[in-house]
Amino acid sequence: MEESSEMVPDADRRNSRAMDLKKLLHAALALSAILPFATGQSSKNPPDLTGVWSPLRATGEYAKFAPPAAGPLVLKPEYSKPYEARRAMEAEASKRGEPLATGGAQCIPYGVPTMMRIASYPVEILQMPKQITIIGEAFSEVRRVFMDKPQAPVDDVAPGYYGRSAGHWDGDTLVVDTIGIKPSVNGYLGMPHSEKMRVTERLKLLAPDVLHDQITIEDPVVLEKPVTYTLAFRRLPDYEMVEFVCDNNREYVDEKGIVRMRVKGQ
Amino acid sequence: MKPRLLNVLALAMLLAISAQAHHSFTMFDMTKQVTIVGTVTGFEWTNPHCYIEIDVPNESGATKHFSIEMGSPSILQQGGWKFSSLKKGDKATLIINPHKSEPGGGFLFSATLPDGRILGNGPGRGPQK
Repeated sequence: MEESSEMVPDADRRNSRAMDLKKLLHAALALSAILPFATGQSSKNPPDLTGVWSPLRATGEYAKFAPPAAGPLVLKPEYSKPYEARRAMEAEASKRGEPLATGGAQCIPYGVPTMMRIASYPVEILQMPKQITIIGEAFSEVRRVFMDKPQAPVDDVAPGYYGRSAGHWDGDTLVVDTIGIKPSVNGYLGMPHSEKMRVTERLKLLAPDVLHDQITIEDPVVLEKPVTYTLAFRRLPDYEMVEFVCDNNREYVDEKGIVRMRVKGQ
Repeated sequence: MKPRLLNVLALAMLLAISAQAHHSFTMFDMTKQVTIVGTVTGFEWTNPHCYIEIDVPNESGATKHFSIEMGSPSILQQGGWKFSSLKKGDKATLIINPHKSEPGGGFLFSATLPDGRILGNGPGRGPQK
């Protein structure tokens, strides 16, 4: 009995120590909720990017969130000439009012990274601990970023529109590594790319309702050096994403590769 | 001069935000506006574009059919449109940019609905709600 009576104060002391620890933990948690924008956030408590994000027009109160200018797109000489020639041909055809066929005009999805910015359409981010899902409203494109798995070797990923994305938190920045984009998928500014292309994105909140996605494209086959550009987004708190099924495409490509419009009854 | 300047500005805005869009709009003559008045034969709230199908009578009494392209539902709803804004049989007045090579084709600039409301073709194009 004596033993047990001596144990009570011990237990009390332990409880009291546990209470102190609990209080400390609560205080730390409260502080971490207040401080992330001031101090940067640890990867154990990453910011929540869940929500609908619309292309940000950097005017008025948002001017300060203008993304930095895009870096130069420098292709290796053997790719540069055909690329420039194609761009000039597209511009010329467009000027004539006879735009050349693009994947988009034929309702082919844009894939990574282009789908992150299609005209003024928003993207929706759904953040879970093991997977972050990004849905582009235009063409209902879906990307999955695996947060708990390592990236695969590039030769092991079947080339597709979205490839394979592995993500991790670098402090308060979500880093997404994407490989496995097939060469026929529309590249940044229409650039050609190989199956070795690697897209690295750094997504960071600049304010609770402002997000930047810094996109770096590396391609040892096509690019002389990596190219980086940044997209800015503004949160749309109450927006309901609209479905987008491309089932009434009246544009078609004629035998000359020009986009035409079908008028009903003709 | 003023409406044309506004139209050009609207086009510039449209092109600026359409760096990657479904397709280029250069198939339409953005320097020219044509007003058509007729009876709606269909309103298609679809992707990648919505369409107004409209029969337009001419002076000799014959009817010419037009297919007028619009933005997508997502873009149009930002300008006050709904899937039910027009229905078959409605009388409507449309201001369009005509297609350069398809005589019955055009791109909507603005529409006067049966209830008198005038709607544009999404943000940056035509009058807004």
